[in-house]
Amino acid sequence: MAAQAVTGAGAAWARNLLSWARPERLLASCSISLLSNIQTRTYQQNVGRWEKKNRIVYPPQLPGEPRRPAEIFHCRRDIKYSKDKMWYLAKLIKGMSIDQALAQLEFNDKKGAKVIKEVLLEAQEMAVRNHNVEFKSNLHIADSFSGKGHYLKRIRYHGRGMFGIMEKVRCHYFVKLVEGPPPPPEAPQTGFDQAKEYVQQLRNRTIIHTL
Amino acid sequence: MAALVVFWSPARGLRGLMQRCWGQLERSLLRGLPGPPWAPALAVQAPATLPDPLEDIREESNKAPNFLDSIFWMAAPKKRRTIEVNRCRRRHPSKLIKLKTNIDVCPECGNLKQKHVLCGYCYKKIKMETGLIRVQIKEKEAGPFNAPTIETVVLYEGEKPTERDEGKRIIERKRKRPSCCSLLFLLFIYLF
Repeated sequence: MAAQAVTGAGAAWARNLLSWARPERLLASCSISLLSNIQTRTYQQNVGRWEKKNRIVYPPQLPGEPRRPAEIFHCRRDIKYSKDKMWYLAKLIKGMSIDQALAQLEFNDKKGAKVIKEVLLEAQEMAVRNHNVEFKSNLHIADSFSGKGHYLKRIRYHGRGMFGIMEKVRCHYFVKLVEGPPPPPEAPQTGFDQAKEYVQQLRNRTIIHTL
Repeated sequence: MAALVVFWSPARGLRGLMQRCWGQLERSLLRGLPGPPWAPALAVQAPATLPDPLEDIREESNKAPNFLDSIFWMAAPKKRRTIEVNRCRRRHPSKLIKLKTNIDVCPECGNLKQKHVLCGYCYKKIKMETGLIRVQIKEKEAGPFNAPTIETVVLYEGEKPTERDEGKRIIERKRKRPSCCSLLFLLFIYLF
């Protein structure tokens, strides 16, 4: 007990001794933010670009402006699944409301469906807690896609002394939730619309470099 | 049957004619065949299968060609499939996941369920309860092969056996009757 108190006091003494050497005080005049303020992490724990998108802060809106809908960016890294297989699920839920997306994923038999469901629930929770979203159902999925994660290489043994290099694939999954009802689906372009566009292109033709 | 061959020495004119005839015959027979023109050779009594002196060396050289030769007749892609072609195949509507229109809300618990499938949450609850009932039965029977020939009825706290329950085995559970009084639950209970 006494030894612990002594070591505690010793540490505090050492800290006090070196307090003059605190670099923040020395560079108080400069406005350069120090590395100690930014998260110094090893290569594997770099904060990705998608996570940083949550940190942007807009200036306060003027009274007349329409309300800017809240945007929530969430992702999960290095999921043990293929990015091509994950893409099908991401394509399924893109543009849906969050409730519909959760319903579809719950009854999908793929492995990635469980992972994406967890990610969506996490993002919903984040939205309500940190991003000032009023109703957790009032969110829709604006963007959802998969990316390639870090691959590991292994040997796959074939007959006749041949071998192949097996890739242990992993993927990332990114999702962007936006407050508000989902946008109405785009009506497919009819023949009439295509014809109108064509006629407009013909009408836009002109002679360049002339009077 | 012996065949008699009569051969007479041809006259000078005939000899030339015969040589020319023989040459024409040779050429017509050996048109496609490579090698030198055949000459009359001595027939020798030889064994049925000629032993190949160079068989061993040929075997070794044949091993690699046999493996490689078979490749010439195997199907192989002629050109690399471009990413555009690959995308057209991978993103074809038949390969995309289809939307499910048979998802409903369970009226008992409020969770999602498929129309033709039991609600997962309710099923789990019932399964747990029936597991505990089975534990009670196991305690009562105390050993294998002791299942009675009469029906079983489960009674919860505060319930008394009614007239209908006469002659049935009673299993008591020390909790109040669970709130999920749906037909399904009764079905499960009466399965014992």
